[in-house]
Parts: sequence; C-alpha cells; structure tokens
Amino acid sequence: MALLETEGLSKSFAGVPVLSGVDFAAEAGEVHALVGANGAGKSTFLNIVSGSLAPSAGVIRLAGAAVRFATPQQAHRAGVSIVHQEFSLAPLLDVATNVFLGREPRTRLGLVDRARMRHDAAALLDTHGFRLDPDAPVAGLSVAEQQLVEIARALSFEAQVLILDEPTAALSPPEQQRLFAVIERLKAVGVAILYVSHRLDEVFRIADRVTVLRNGIRVATRRVADLDHAGLVSLMLGEAAAAAAPPPRATPGSVRLAATYRAGEATSSIVVRAGEIVGLAGFVGAGRTHLARALAGRARSNEIEMTIDGKAVDRRSAGAALRHGVVYVTEDRKRDGLFVPLGVLANTTAGALDRVSRFGLLQAGREQKLGGDMLARLRLAAPSLAAPVNHLSGGNQQKAVFARALLAEPRVLICDEPTRGVDVGAKAQIHDLLVELAGRGLAVLVVSSEFAELLAVADRILVMRDRAVVAAFARGTVDEPTLFRAASGDPAVLAAARPGLPP
Amino acid sequence: MSRPDEMAAAALPQAAVPQPRRARRIPEMLAIWLVLVALLVLAGVLSDAFLRPVYLGNIVRQAAPIGIAAVGVTLVMILGGVDLSIGATISLGAVVCAAVMAGEPANIAPAVVLACLAGAAVGTLNGALIAFTGVSPFILTLGTAITLYGVTQLITGGTAHGIVAPGFREAFNIRIGGVLPVLGLAFVGVAGLGLAVQRLTTFGRRLYLIGSNPATARLAGLPVRRTVLIAYALSGLFGGLGGLALLARSGVSGSLAASGYEFDVLAAVVLGGTTFEGGRGGIGGTVAGVLILFVAFNLVNVVGLPYHAQLVVKGAVIIAASALYRRMREARQA
Repeated sequence: MALLETEGLSKSFAGVPVLSGVDFAAEAGEVHALVGANGAGKSTFLNIVSGSLAPSAGVIRLAGAAVRFATPQQAHRAGVSIVHQEFSLAPLLDVATNVFLGREPRTRLGLVDRARMRHDAAALLDTHGFRLDPDAPVAGLSVAEQQLVEIARALSFEAQVLILDEPTAALSPPEQQRLFAVIERLKAVGVAILYVSHRLDEVFRIADRVTVLRNGIRVATRRVADLDHAGLVSLMLGEAAAAAAPPPRATPGSVRLAATYRAGEATSSIVVRAGEIVGLAGFVGAGRTHLARALAGRARSNEIEMTIDGKAVDRRSAGAALRHGVVYVTEDRKRDGLFVPLGVLANTTAGALDRVSRFGLLQAGREQKLGGDMLARLRLAAPSLAAPVNHLSGGNQQKAVFARALLAEPRVLICDEPTRGVDVGAKAQIHDLLVELAGRGLAVLVVSSEFAELLAVADRILVMRDRAVVAAFARGTVDEPTLFRAASGDPAVLAAARPGLPP
Repeated sequence: MSRPDEMAAAALPQAAVPQPRRARRIPEMLAIWLVLVALLVLAGVLSDAFLRPVYLGNIVRQAAPIGIAAVGVTLVMILGGVDLSIGATISLGAVVCAAVMAGEPANIAPAVVLACLAGAAVGTLNGALIAFTGVSPFILTLGTAITLYGVTQLITGGTAHGIVAPGFREAFNIRIGGVLPVLGLAFVGVAGLGLAVQRLTTFGRRLYLIGSNPATARLAGLPVRRTVLIAYALSGLFGGLGGLALLARSGVSGSLAASGYEFDVLAAVVLGGTTFEGGRGGIGGTVAGVLILFVAFNLVNVVGLPYHAQLVVKGAVIIAASALYRRMREARQA
C-alpha cells in the first residue's frame, strides 16, 4: 500500500484548470521525483499535498486513510512536511529554537524549557547524522546548513513524507553530495521522499521512480532505471516541442559587449555582437538574473569584468552602466520596473526628463511628443497618457517599461523575462520589437525561462546551470528538447555543446 | 508601424491632458477643498465671525508659519521621506533672525538672509546624511530636531533672545485692501512657488517618481541622491522662512517658539493627501489641509471649548483623514 496517494486531484484557478485528475502514489522508503516543464502544475500539486491549497476535486490518502489538510500545520502534524526553495527560518534565533519554533517544550510554569529543547534538538540532529550545533544562530550558517535545519524541523514532526522542492538550487556540488547522503539515510528509515527538481541528472542519480506532469495532467510514472535523459525530456515536453528550428538570420556585426563573469569556481564569458540577439536559458536558480543584473551594473565587486565596444566599463552602478548604454529591463515590473501609481507618460519619460526640459523646467509638449511617439511605436493601448500605469494590462505595462528603456538610447539591451505576465498578442509584438531593434544594430540579451521564446528570437543561446554558462548553440542548430537536456544537466548534450565564440 | 489606425490606438487625447498626473489627482484635491468649504459653512452657521473677511484674513495670517513650513515638508514627503526637524528649524529661523536684528532696522536684511541660510543649512545636512548614509529619515530628522533644540537653547540661554527691529512686524501685518495681511500673502506666495516647483520642474517630477518607487528610480538612472538632497534643503529653507513668519506674527523669539509645530505641519500635510509612502499628494492639498486645521482651531475657540480641545481635534482630524484617503484609494484600485 502506498504511503502517500492522490486520486483524481484537480485544481482550477478562476475556472482555468491547472491540475486535472492527477493520480499519484509514493511508497515508504522511496525517492519519488516529480518533474515537468514550467506551468506543468508541480507547484500546485505540492501546495495541495502540503496543505497550502485546497483541491477543487480529488482525494489525498495517507497510509490508506483519506486526509484533508486545511493548513500546512495540519499537514505537518499528520507527517507530511515540505522544505521550500526559500527557507522560513528565524535568522537571529539558534538552531534548536528554529527546529521547535512554535512547539517549544514547556516547563510546568509555562516557560520555554531551553534545556530540554536543546537536548531534544541535539538528539534529533544526531539521529540523522546532521553535524550542526543546536546553539548556533541560524544567520551564521551556510545555505546548506540552513537547509539541514529546515529538514530537521520537518523530521521533528515525525515526517513520513518529506517533500523537497528544488533542494539543490542553492548548493555547491560537495553540499549536494552531502544532501544526497542525507536523503539516502532517510530513505533507509522508511521516509517517502518527494523530490522536485529541474535538474534531471539528479533525478537519475537519486530517484527510484519519476512522475511526469504536463499541462496539469500526469503523463507517466516510470521507474527511473527504465528511462534515459532524452526519453524523460520527451515525456515532459510532448511531441509538439520537436518542431524544426528556424533558419539563421543575417550575420551580426562587431563585438559590442564582452564580459567575464565569475561565480564560485566557475568563470563564464559572454559576448554579444551589435545586431545580435543572445538568449540566456536555464532553470530557476541557474543564476541568469544575477548575471543579467551584474551586466547592468548591479553586481558585487570582482564578479564581473566587461567592455563595451572594446572600452572597459569601470564603475559598477546602474548609472555607470546606463552611461555606457547598457539598459536593463527588469523581470519584476512591480519591484523595479514601474512607478505606481503615476501615469503612463510619467513612467515612460522618467529617465529622459533632461531631454524634454530647459533650465529644469518641463516642457509638456516636448515630453508628450517624445513619450507619446515611443508609446505609439510600441502600440501601447491606454485610455490616456495620464492613465495610472497599474491600470493597464500586463502587456501594456511591459510596453511602458520597454518604452522607458528605449528612450535611454541603449547600445546593449538586457531583457529579463521580457514577456512574463503578458498576453499572447503583446508577446508576439515584443518578439517582433526585439528582432527589429537587433536589425537596427542593437546588441540584445534576452533572459527567459521559456525555451520556445529563445528559440523564436535568439541568434545564439547560452545555457546556464549552477551560475555558469555550460553550453552555447547557434540559431537553427538546436531544438527545445536539446535545450532542456542541456539546462537539466544531460552529460551527453553538454559534452557536445561547449560554450565558446561562434565562428 | 506608423499606419494611421495604429497611431490612433496610442495617440491618446494628448491635448486634453496637459499634465500627466492631474486627471488622477483632482478628485482627491477637490475632496479636501470641499471639506474646507463645508467646514467654513459650518463655522459661519455657528459664529458670524467667520463671515467677516478680516477674520478670515486673520486665520490665513495665523496659519502662515505652519503653512510656509508645510510647503517644504510636502516636497520631502512626496519623495517618501519626512522632516521631523521642521519645528526646530522654524525655532532656529526665528531665533537667528531676532538675534541678528538686535532691534536695529538696518539689520533686517542680513537677519532675514541669515535665518534662511540657517534653515537651508539644517535641511542640507539632513538631506546629505539621508542621501549618502541611508539612515531612516524618521530617525535622522528626529535626532536633528533634538540637537537643534539643544543648540538654540545654548545660544539663547533658554530665554527670549534678540529684539525685533521696529518696522519688521509692522510691514508683515499691513492688510492689503484692509483684509489680507502681508504675512498671509507671503504664505500664498510661498505656496504658489512650491506648486510651481512641484508641477513644472524636472525636480518636482522626480520627487513623484522616486517617491512612488525608489528601486525603479535607481534602475532608471534617476539622480536620486541629488533630488533627496535638494528636497531636504528646500524643506529647511522653508522652515527658516516659517521662522521669519513666526517672528513677524508673534514678535517673540523664545528658543522653543515652534516646539511641537512639527506635528501641526505633519497633520496638515497628511490631511492634504500626501502620505508617508510617498509618490502621492501635493502642495495644493497641503494648503487646504493647513487652512482646515486653523479654521478648526478657531472654531474650537469661538464656540468656547478649552484650548486643549484643539489637540483632540488635531488628533481626530489626522486619524479621520488617513482612514478616508485609504478608503478612497482602495475604492479606486477596485
């Protein structure tokens, strides 16, 4: 009998199904991987099983008995614990307190029994072979050690089912090995481990079985031993993805941007030519955004060295990068892309006010001409130029961000997830715009988690993994499954696609 | 890309909307001015004093020190900052002016200039520390306030200090057309100047941009530090001017002359629709906020409630205004 089982698990958001009739079963003492492309429904599935979301339909059974978790706490108490990608630790408190947070042992007076808490924590850490000091403040621990604290907390609930969501995303290779050892030990004592990762090489290393979700449907559950990397990727992507790659475009010009990026022990070089669109592919946690922001002047020192048209860019700040013509379009409009609740025009001309003023006085007519023309060129639809930017659709918000970026007269345009939260029509327009800009000699770097998007627009695609560029493909020489295999660490693909300059 | 129909989709009724923010701000601005009118009507019903232009002119005169200082603080708050040292700056302005004048009419000009410089210096210091160290404006300007009160006490020995020159107060208290005193006119003039800075300059626009989202502003390459510095410097300068106004109104330059004024100033600014989050509001609302506050104080006096009832009114007004604005904004988001 399966330890954790779901039957017909479904979930819709606003009438849109994101999970449809998923049957799933994980046995005690099994590492069961859950994989799928972006939007396959993995997060929704995890959230339902761990009590954060209520299913629209279907049942969850734990050791054969139907259960219903209204909150994550109920799931914890029943023995289903999840360790998220982002930890939920109290950084200033020590390990023991974090393990028992909210359930501290009490003395008869109702005070926290520190001695017992310390003792229990030490015993728990010891049982599972975690080398952690129960008195150490969490803030001083490495990411890997913090993850062990999270796992220890989960185990302190006597977890029978442990869900690990992208557990290796922030770990160095030796730390990953230690985590795998921990997983092996937990497996040996009968814990069912639900392992969610984009890194398929890990799935092959650690998992016994794998369940594949695609578009909210379970397409397969297989023994890992019966599959190879290519086979798993084709299950995840389906048949449609193997469409022919588009033909190469015109040859790009001279090198515009050349950078050397160091992260940990890895060194990557990135080159973008004038008139070229370079795509930066990879999964969450691969370090794409960090690299993109480093190029745009948001890096820590010594992380990056770069030249624009052969001239070294010395000072590291967004302002310095801007003066060299490096303009960054953020992946998170709300955080640092928009001025809410100001109007569309004010958002568009924010960085170009010196061009529409004289002696510090704004010239309304010139501002409207400059901003309005740019917005018209991008086909932004708004009730008026004064309409608050947050009242527009996602696509039009993104166009406003692009309009501001273009008014900065970029020589290198770095777009991070340029079509996130954007409707299909606006998405095609943004793709056309990128191609048009490159056609006029701009160097464009596009970061995207959608491989199809990069295949559609990029002249060259760099694949990142563990904060390093691990593969490079020219337009027309790669398809989606190959990109997926490179990003998920298929050694066969990586060996054949060493990064480097195209001829 | 430039076919006529596509242009039409984005070519938007530009001529009808000369200022990008106005269309959105008017309802809130209008609301606060309507409250002022309603309050005046109520006051007129309760006491016919409020029907006399001279009395109304006097209210504007009374409001001048707070009102002038509130103009500068509004700029800082649009930016998402705050200036708690404004009361101390007003005091400093008054003390410096009176001390330099020392009863001599010939000293009026240098006294006025030095009072303004003193205010601007305090503001510049606030601005520089906030822009370059990233200290919270709340804590920093609180510290400045305490320090300044100490400094003015040390200078004056804790008693009234300096003598106002003959002609100084008289000039400010002449009534134009027998109604509006020069001091009241000065408030109107400073407010007009502030309004022009806010609406017509790149600096004014950047206040709104930075206040609405500092992270976006930095990424877009806006001169965030320079703007912060100038805004606080202006707040200090207007504080110095407020000190002059206070001296002109009261004639006394006690070292604690304006202690506690920071709360009146903040009350007026918040009442006028400029929030602590920044990016919203403006001087137009602040002027109405100041006048509401002073009409309400006068009303409390006229109907015979004790002075301390003013404090109750002040507190209640701030809370009610904040709650009301929140509701209005939420209703608009929906």
